[in-house]
Amino acid sequence: MSYKFKKQIFGFMDLLRFKKMVPKRRARLAEGSPERLPVTYTVNETAKILHPGYQTAVLRKIEQNTPDTKTYTFETERPLYFRAGQYLTVGCRVGESVVSRPYALSSAPRAALNKQISVTVKKCGFFSGYLFDRAKEGDSFTVGDPSGEFCYEPVKDSSRILAIAGGSGITPFYSMAQAIADGTEDFNLTILYGAEKEEDLIFRKQLDDLCSDKIKVVYVLHGEKKEGYEHGFITKEIIEKYVSGDFTVMMCGPGGMYEFVSKELEAWHLPLRRVKKEANCVGVRDVQDAEYDLTVHIGFDTYTVRASANETILTAMERAGLSVPAKCRAGGCGFCHSKLVSGRYSLAGADKRRLADLKFGYIHPCCSYPDSDMEIIVPKAQ
Amino acid sequence: MKKYDAVVIGAGNGGLTAAVRLLQGGAKVLLVEKHNLPGGFATSFRRGRFEFEASLHELNDFGTPDNAGDVRVLFDELGVTDKIEWTSIPDAYRVISREEKIDATMPFGVKEFIDRMERYVPGCRLSVERFFDLAEEVRLAQAYSSSVNGKTDSKVMVGKYGNFVRSGSYSVNEVLKALKMPKRAKDILNAYWCYLGAHCDDLSFAHYASMVNRYIRRGVLMPKMRSHEISLAFIERIRELGGDVLMNTEAVRILTDPSDGGVAGVILDDGTQIQTRHVVANCAPHLVFGKMMDKVSEEVVRATNARKFSGRGFTMFLGLDKPAEELGIENHNYFLYDTMDTARQYDMMRTIEGNNVQATVCLNRAYPECSPKGTCMLYFTTLYMSDDWANVTPENYYKTKNYVANKMIDRFERDTGAKLRGSIEEISVATPMTYARYCGHPQGVIYGYESQYWDGLMPRLQMMAEDHKVRGLRFAGGYAMRLSGYSSAYFSGDISGRQTVGDIKREG
Repeated sequence: MSYKFKKQIFGFMDLLRFKKMVPKRRARLAEGSPERLPVTYTVNETAKILHPGYQTAVLRKIEQNTPDTKTYTFETERPLYFRAGQYLTVGCRVGESVVSRPYALSSAPRAALNKQISVTVKKCGFFSGYLFDRAKEGDSFTVGDPSGEFCYEPVKDSSRILAIAGGSGITPFYSMAQAIADGTEDFNLTILYGAEKEEDLIFRKQLDDLCSDKIKVVYVLHGEKKEGYEHGFITKEIIEKYVSGDFTVMMCGPGGMYEFVSKELEAWHLPLRRVKKEANCVGVRDVQDAEYDLTVHIGFDTYTVRASANETILTAMERAGLSVPAKCRAGGCGFCHSKLVSGRYSLAGADKRRLADLKFGYIHPCCSYPDSDMEIIVPKAQ
Repeated sequence: MKKYDAVVIGAGNGGLTAAVRLLQGGAKVLLVEKHNLPGGFATSFRRGRFEFEASLHELNDFGTPDNAGDVRVLFDELGVTDKIEWTSIPDAYRVISREEKIDATMPFGVKEFIDRMERYVPGCRLSVERFFDLAEEVRLAQAYSSSVNGKTDSKVMVGKYGNFVRSGSYSVNEVLKALKMPKRAKDILNAYWCYLGAHCDDLSFAHYASMVNRYIRRGVLMPKMRSHEISLAFIERIRELGGDVLMNTEAVRILTDPSDGGVAGVILDDGTQIQTRHVVANCAPHLVFGKMMDKVSEEVVRATNARKFSGRGFTMFLGLDKPAEELGIENHNYFLYDTMDTARQYDMMRTIEGNNVQATVCLNRAYPECSPKGTCMLYFTTLYMSDDWANVTPENYYKTKNYVANKMIDRFERDTGAKLRGSIEEISVATPMTYARYCGHPQGVIYGYESQYWDGLMPRLQMMAEDHKVRGLRFAGGYAMRLSGYSSAYFSGDISGRQTVGDIKREG
């Protein structure tokens, strides 16, 4: 290169300056404070409240809401915070198994800052049955990070939310209603709450008390006709009666309800951005039962457990007492991300994995059923 | 007790590279990562029908097989290039600055870049040509410096890389002034400054020139499946080479040998003790010396305290239910500034209220198939130059997130004429708290230690040997000798990995 760079009149002065860079840095490093380095930082501490990770929670109160639902209130080890509509996992060891389930938080976000959280559980399966019949005040459980995107997003959602709840699907909306009432959230919430009979309505009184210019609750009973209640299922006519203009639909309830209501909503031609459905846990699949060997590598250890063709790989590992990551149980959160070494499997529902996961052979055990003997590498539950 | 030649703490870009290098050098290696995915910032996440890239805008200095950049050469050596499907990025950037009324779109390729600059700023050609000549010399001098592990021979430096040495101690603006670059050309050229996060009065010319050169000279690529594809390719490679990988596993302590204060082992979060004499830490020295080690010398404490954290990150991800062309999103990469006075802009970026800067990417403009037909994705990134997010309480957290998100959308619409509102199907926002959560970085820093003048690329490279204070402990990633950014982190892992192989061999 013919061009000779010079900053100062004499090039050698630039050279000298270059040579001084090291001594200058050496001096600056030596001038640093001798004080102990911080162990933590404010932003990291706030992050720990927003995303506390697993912690122990002591069951403080059990309330029976309806014949088949109870609300469990826990005191957590550390303060936490969440967005109304989020869920967390509650788990413990039941016999030989290590089990947890995701439950929508039914308490207000603000109470969590005082280490108080509630989940409302319908008796319908293995772990809810355990909670119903065996859990008592004073028992210890492990709760996970508040998670999920089933929340009001002011940047994109309409400020009018049409909530469609079926049965215990009311829980996230009850949390939202409390958050609106205490000023944490600001939007209009119209809840169409479907249940079989009046006695099946959870939080009936609390919801009525929360009603305001921002919160409206309509009860829709399909199992009985009663004064003051809508009767039947949540149809187009009922929806039309209670909302107009621009709105965002949020649905939480059983799969059958989603199918039914989605059809009723067709008349509005809502784009995807206006509809949110909370995912339901993957259950058993109806195939001819078969048993396979599942070889699982966790950390430095290897286990071989039996897996039923009817149940997910996650369930097989939990049954065997392996402590493995589990969160949404619907294939979406990626928390159980595991490496497939060998074997065949089928997915429950839509594939929600990342593209590169497919390419490099990663699976989400919570939504995968075994179709052969399998070998997988699973990260330990933290 | 489990015994390894080396433990790599953190599976970020630096840690992944170091692990491969160690394995290639014949070491028995354990890689531990506290998150359940590898990659650190190099990852992706799903929301609805979109898969968002978490951080990578473009991977620079990659080039083509016959015109390979340094990153491709490294990836080839590591054995990962072919595990990844690449797509190229069309244009370098579009910079819009309100104060200077600049709206310039710059291409890749040195000649094309200079021609375009001459069109925007007639008469600037010679100064921009000289900039690129200097920048190439910087690259060559750095390659030389890396090849001798920082122990450069001053005769070689002055003889072969004289211009580099003469310009190497100055800031970006000092050198551009000496090159007599017209102000407007300087403003357009300085657009990349936010990728390094130090303003151009402070930022070392050698560092900036080296980066611009890496972007413009050979063009840049993106992995089609987002950076998660790179990270999984690395893990596959590590397993092929016989390395052990533990995800969801945090290294909580580094044990030292009382006889020399060097590394003796690592304790994992479940209490497992690993015997090793070598650690490559892909995390901040602040964390290692602040909470992972017992006896830290005053010299090390002083040196660590002396350093300055760089920008704290913030990114908004949007999935839009219309194609880019319909929304008026014309380019792949936008830089939106209030002013090209980078020192003043830097100051405005200290607070949540004052910061309106954004670097915004529409991946569909490089790779249309990255999201479902009829949709597109946008990522908006900014940096905070102070700990203003430390003032945000959990209760105000979501409101603050939304405040910034709305500001970013408004600004993008205003400056570019694009229309986003009414088409947002998915939104996700990462704040300094998010980066602190996933990567553990102090205060949510995403660029390591700031590239301040005194602590810039050159003195860090030159002092590599003397910065190595604890026997068996080396650093990789954004806090290390190559500073931050994807390619820099890979290079730092390469250097620390190779050096550790040397350390192991010397021990016999």
